[in-house]
Amino acid sequence: MSFEKQRDEVAALCKKLLADGAVSRVVGFREGGVEGMSLPYIFTDPAGVDMLTWNSRCLPNLNGYLTGGEGNTAIVAKPCDARAVVALISEKQLRREDIHIIGLVCDGMVDANGDPLPACVECSVNCPPVYDDLIDDPDVAEKTGGEQVSNDTSLERFEAEIDKCILCFSCRQACYGCYCQTCFMDRGSPGWQPTVPGRGDKMLYHAGRTMHLAGRCVECGACENACASGVDIRYLIREVTNFVGELYDYRAGMDLDARPAMLSYAAGDREVGFLGGDGDGH
Amino acid sequence: MAISKDVMRGFLAHLSAGRTLIGPVDTGKVIEYRKASPNEILMDDRVSYKSIKEFYFPQVERMFTFSEGEVQDHDNPAGCAIFGGKPCDLEALRVMKAVFTTGKFADPFFERRFDANLLIGVGCIAKKPGCFCDQVEVDMAFSDFCDIMLEDSGEGYNVEYLSEKGRQALNEYPPTKDVACGNTRKADPPQADALALSPAITEAGFFEAIDWAKSTETCQGCGLCSFICPTCHCFDFRDSSENGTVHRYKCWDSCIYPKFTLHASGHNPRESRAARYRQRLLHKYRYVPDNFGLTACTGCGRCVRGCPVGMDIRQVVKQVMEVQP
Repeated sequence: MSFEKQRDEVAALCKKLLADGAVSRVVGFREGGVEGMSLPYIFTDPAGVDMLTWNSRCLPNLNGYLTGGEGNTAIVAKPCDARAVVALISEKQLRREDIHIIGLVCDGMVDANGDPLPACVECSVNCPPVYDDLIDDPDVAEKTGGEQVSNDTSLERFEAEIDKCILCFSCRQACYGCYCQTCFMDRGSPGWQPTVPGRGDKMLYHAGRTMHLAGRCVECGACENACASGVDIRYLIREVTNFVGELYDYRAGMDLDARPAMLSYAAGDREVGFLGGDGDGH
Repeated sequence: MAISKDVMRGFLAHLSAGRTLIGPVDTGKVIEYRKASPNEILMDDRVSYKSIKEFYFPQVERMFTFSEGEVQDHDNPAGCAIFGGKPCDLEALRVMKAVFTTGKFADPFFERRFDANLLIGVGCIAKKPGCFCDQVEVDMAFSDFCDIMLEDSGEGYNVEYLSEKGRQALNEYPPTKDVACGNTRKADPPQADALALSPAITEAGFFEAIDWAKSTETCQGCGLCSFICPTCHCFDFRDSSENGTVHRYKCWDSCIYPKFTLHASGHNPRESRAARYRQRLLHKYRYVPDNFGLTACTGCGRCVRGCPVGMDIRQVVKQVMEVQP
């Protein structure tokens, strides 16, 4: 089994879905980018599916392309893409019946030099948790846990990352979870948008986005992959993700029936989730 | 005059005594121009993810302070010595100089940096993935829009000066004092696959030339391309007030952002992402050529390499060219 075999299976399936009218659009990848990068593409014609590709350079999260167009949409989904679909359904942004998930077992993507992407190294989900069709790869062993990374949460580290940022918002645009019609950064009243993009204002943006993603990050690494400046802000989001996981035993995008941690309240919720600090209240 | 790269490092060390030295540095994750010591500066053929434009047009620049009825100008910048601008960057600076300093209004903030900086260009040895300078009449190895130009042979540099400022700087350092004046050299004639839009078509004609929505449907609208572009030069004014003192800043902006054209009435003439992408492309390939006689894309390829979803401006320009008469 290999990318090529998976690719042929996906292509045959996409052709059939489009030809049968089961879906009107397939969001997937085609070849043609520089440095071997695969490009997101929206297929609407069965004949066009010949261009479809699936390889180790299918980086972007495709969830930004799911809305729009008439009829149902199929997505060629890496496990993280599938998790994002599930999360969007949980947050009532998509309806399950409108989306056909073609899930692929995935061993991770690589950068232009062929090195595994950091998010893929840490990934612990190599089979989509929810799918309509599964394109398996028996050569990919089931993962029990991703590589553990030590997390330095010092202010110095935060500042070092922030200083690389040029505040272009490509991480926000790449993130499945950043779907607000008007981002808090773009609001006029109150004016969150920094008057002058200095270090503090960049911190405000990244800290704000991190908190908005509490319990919602699907760990796809799209933010990091999109960043041309080499900023790693994912470490901060990972910290919050782990915190939510410990507190509420919740992981975004894994279960269609689970209520998102930030959308539910129970009287017994631990106080540290509200007030922070070391106190527990129980 | 041919010199070794060690001699060039010596020259940079000499320059760094009196000026802030800027050059390409490998930060481990990216290559970028920043304040650097002569030994940190890269002298290989790799290319940075951003251009040198921030040393002429910073992302944030304080223009003046207004306090108790008095306007105070500041930040008269000390000049930098910038090493390693690629020919695409230098040609982009030519575009920026035209935009900022010709016509009815000149931008003093750009102008004073331009006058204060010393710019050392370095030619490329090879094209990188996504580079297309040859398709927009830019010579990969040489540009005369700098003070000193170095043509890279791999082992060393062929050095020429192209301005009085460049001549003086070289003259002050004994090993480079005999460098000769460079010739202005015309770029190779346009190739068959040159990217240019026909002046015969009206602006409105381009608006419907292709299905812009289809061609740009995977663009995520992040605006990264305009920030890392060497020629994108749009900015916005921002004021910040503190205890009755107001600072006015000039900050990078991008036509890719929806707020760029949002009117106070709530109307937005460029409501769709496709309309915004079209503006960026036509600005580079039609409006600046019309107004200044220069193409505002120098084929550096940074947007092509940097785009998170692989949008490729060359492909969209080609689509437009295919339908133009």
